[in-house]
Amino acid sequence: MEIAVSVKNIIKKYKLYEDKWGPVKEILLKKNLHKEFLALNNVSLDFPKGESIGVLGKNGSGKSTLLKIITGITDPTSGSVEVNGSLVFLDVSSGIDPELSGYENIFMKGTLLGYTKEEMMSKVDDIIEFSELGEFINQPVKNYSSGMRSKLGFAISVNVDPDILIVDEALAVGDSMFRQKCMDKMNEFKDLGKTIIFVSHDHNAVESFCSKAAWIHEGNLITYGESKQVSSYYHSFMSGRKTMEEIKMELNYHHSLETAELKNNAGQLSIELSGYVYNDEENQIKDWYFVTQNARTKEKKKYLLNRMADGQVKGKFTISLPIFEDLLFYSPGQFTFEVGHLNNDGKLVSFPIWSENVDFISEPEINHQFKYELLNYNQSLIMKIFNIDKLEEQVNRIYFEGNYLMIDGVAFVRGYETPSGNEVDGELYLVHKETFEYKNFPITFKATEEITENQSFNPLGKNYTYSRFISKVDLSELSEGEYECKIRYSMNRDPLHVIINQVWASKNDQYDLNEYQVNDKSIQIVTKSKHLYIIVSA
Amino acid sequence: MFDIYKLMWGKRNLVHTLALQEMKKEYAGTLLGVLWGLVNPLLRIAVYWFVFSIGAKVGKNVDGAPFIAWLACGLVAWFFINDAFRLSKNSFRSKRGLIKNTPFPIAVLPAVNVLYSYYIHLILLATILVVMVFYLKTISVYWLQILYFDFAAFMLLIGIGSVTAPLVAVSKDFGKLIDTVLVFLFWMTPILWSVDNIEGPLKFLVQLNPFHYIVQGYRDSIFFSTGFWEYPGYTLYFWVFVFVSFVLGNYLYKRMKPIFLDLM
Repeated sequence: MEIAVSVKNIIKKYKLYEDKWGPVKEILLKKNLHKEFLALNNVSLDFPKGESIGVLGKNGSGKSTLLKIITGITDPTSGSVEVNGSLVFLDVSSGIDPELSGYENIFMKGTLLGYTKEEMMSKVDDIIEFSELGEFINQPVKNYSSGMRSKLGFAISVNVDPDILIVDEALAVGDSMFRQKCMDKMNEFKDLGKTIIFVSHDHNAVESFCSKAAWIHEGNLITYGESKQVSSYYHSFMSGRKTMEEIKMELNYHHSLETAELKNNAGQLSIELSGYVYNDEENQIKDWYFVTQNARTKEKKKYLLNRMADGQVKGKFTISLPIFEDLLFYSPGQFTFEVGHLNNDGKLVSFPIWSENVDFISEPEINHQFKYELLNYNQSLIMKIFNIDKLEEQVNRIYFEGNYLMIDGVAFVRGYETPSGNEVDGELYLVHKETFEYKNFPITFKATEEITENQSFNPLGKNYTYSRFISKVDLSELSEGEYECKIRYSMNRDPLHVIINQVWASKNDQYDLNEYQVNDKSIQIVTKSKHLYIIVSA
Repeated sequence: MFDIYKLMWGKRNLVHTLALQEMKKEYAGTLLGVLWGLVNPLLRIAVYWFVFSIGAKVGKNVDGAPFIAWLACGLVAWFFINDAFRLSKNSFRSKRGLIKNTPFPIAVLPAVNVLYSYYIHLILLATILVVMVFYLKTISVYWLQILYFDFAAFMLLIGIGSVTAPLVAVSKDFGKLIDTVLVFLFWMTPILWSVDNIEGPLKFLVQLNPFHYIVQGYRDSIFFSTGFWEYPGYTLYFWVFVFVSFVLGNYLYKRMKPIFLDLM
C-alpha cells in the first residue's frame, strides 16, 4: 500500500500564559509561568494513496492542528511528517485579496500555491467556468457575495490539480447545487487515484464520502479504520449514548460471544453463554461483569464473570443467566448483552459484546412462562421476551382513600375462564424509573358481570366472572420519583401462563387526577401515554 | 547559516511575482495607479525643500551642489530604505491570515517587501535622474555607481528585514519601537543636513549608521564623483554589518518561527 501522507508520533503543545507579560517575565525570572496545552498527543496515522480519508472530531479536538502540521503551516513540537506528492489545502478564504479582481486573484492564489504564471494560464479557463462567476470575474472580490467568494476559492483549489487535497469543512458554503458540484469534483478526484483528506465534525458527511476515517478527541487518536465503523463510534459518543470510557474499552478489547443456549432445567429456565474478552496487555481488569440491559427502560443487571485461568484460551468465559430467579426483570421486552467492569468511581462501564458469529446450541425460541427468543441484530445478540397470551385490561377507577391509592379495573385473557376466584392470581408492581427499585402490592380478583355480559367482549359466551381486580397501593411506602405500573396476571391452572404488562389506563375522566397530599408528599397520577404512571414529589 | 537567503534566491520568481502583486494590490482601485508611487515622494521632497530653503533659510548649496538637487538625491535613497524597512519588519505580521492558512515558504516574505519597495524606488529614481540631467546639465560615469549602492542597500534591507520581521511577529511592542526608531533615524541620518556640519566622535557615531553609507554614496556618485573604493574601511564596515545581520536574521527566523506561528 502506497502512503500519501504519514505522520508519526506527533505531539503539539501550546503554551498558555495568564497575562500578556507572561512570556517576558518567564525569560527574566526564569520561572515557569505557563500552562501547557496538549493539542495533539502522540498521534500516528498513515493516509494511503488513492483513498479519501475522513478526520472526525468535535471543535477544538485538534483535528485542524493536525491538518496544519500536515500542510506545513505549523511545526509539531515533536514527531515527523512525510508527504509524498503535491498538496493543496482547500481553504476557501485565504489568499484571496478583496481589492483585486477575481481574475487577478486566480493568479495570486496560484502563485501562493507554488504554480507559475504559465501553469495558471492553462488552468484559468477551467477555474472561471467552474466558479460560475461569469462576467463578475473581472470585478474586485470585495464586491462579491460571500457565496461567490467561496466558489472562487474552491474553484481555484480543486482545479490546480494537486496529488493530495485537504478539505477543511469547506463544503458548508455555497448553495446546494454548487455543493453537489464540489462533491462530484472530489469524487472525480478520487477516481483519478488522488488522495483526499476530509476534516469534519459531521459524521454523515464523512460516512458518505470517505472510505476510511480517523477520530481525534482531545488530541488523542481514538480509532482509525473503516469510515462506517469509526463514524458510528463517533456518533454514539457525540449523541451521548456512550461515554468515552466505554468506547475506549470497546476498542481496546477483543470480545465475542461464541455460543448461546436457552436451557430448561427441570422447569427452571436459564441462558447459557460462552465467549471471550481480553486485550493484548494482560490483566488490566480483574473483575469482569456480564450485563443484561432492558432496551426500553435501560435497567441493567450484572453478573460476575468467571474467566478461565491463564494458560487456557485467553479471556474465555461461560456464564449462566438464571432467568427463572427474576421474573420481573426478565419480563416481556427486549434485552441486550454487554460486558464491562467497575471503574475507579465504582461505576459500571460496559460495551455491547460482539456476537456476529454466535452459535445457537438450542432452538433460539422457547415457550415457557413467556415466549423467549434469541437473535442476532447488527452484530449484537438480543433477547426478546413476549407474553404468550394477550391480557385484556383496563382501569375503570382510580381514587385515593386515606394513605392508599385504589386502582379498580378489569383484566382477563380470552379463552381462560374464571368462574371462581381461585383461577387467577395477580400482583401490581410499581417500578421506580431511575433506581429500578420496585414495590409490589397484592391484587384481589372479584366477581363482575362487566365482561361476561358484554356481547362484543364475549361473543362465545364464556365465563369471565372473576375479572375485576382491585389493588390497594400503600402510598407511604413510596419514595420520591416516577413509578411505572406493571401488572402480573397468573393462571392457576393449565396452561399456567404468566402475563406481565404495563398497566393500561385510558379512561381519564374516571380517575382522580388531582394532586393528592399524603405525609408531606404529593402524589400525581399520570396517564398521558395511556399507561399508568405515579409521580411522587416532596 | 544562510538557509533563508538561499530559499529567497531559489524562489526568486515567486518573490518577483508576489512583489508585483503587492504593487497591484497597493494601487488597485485608484485611478492614478502606480503614479502615486511617484507623486507622494515628489511632494514630500518639495515640502522639505520649502521648509529648509524658503521657511528656515538654511538650504544653502552643499560643497557646490545645489541644495534642492542634493536634498532630492538623498531622499530618493532614504525613501527606499524607509519603505523597505517599514514593510519588511511587518511582513509576517501583516500576512498572518495567509501564513495561518496556506502552506507557503514564508521565509521569503521579507524579501517580497524589499523587492516591492525597490520597484517603486526604481520609478522614482529614474524620474529624479532624468530631472537631474536637465537641471545640472551634466552627467558622469560615476552615476553608474548608483547601481552598486542600490545593491548594497538591497542586501542591507534584506538582512534588517529578516532580523526584525520575526521579532515583530512575536511582539507587537517591538514593531512600535522600530516605528519610533525609524523617525529617529530619519533625522539622525544626514539626509536633510550634511555630515560635514559636525565633527569628532559625534561624526564617527553618525557614520556608524549603515544607512548613511547608502545616502552618502548616492550623493558621492551624483555630485562629487567619489568612488566607494576611496573609503575602503567604511565599505568593509558596511559589508560586515550586512553579514552579521544576515546571520542573525537566519538564526532569529529559525528560533522564532515556531513561536510566532503559535502566537499569531
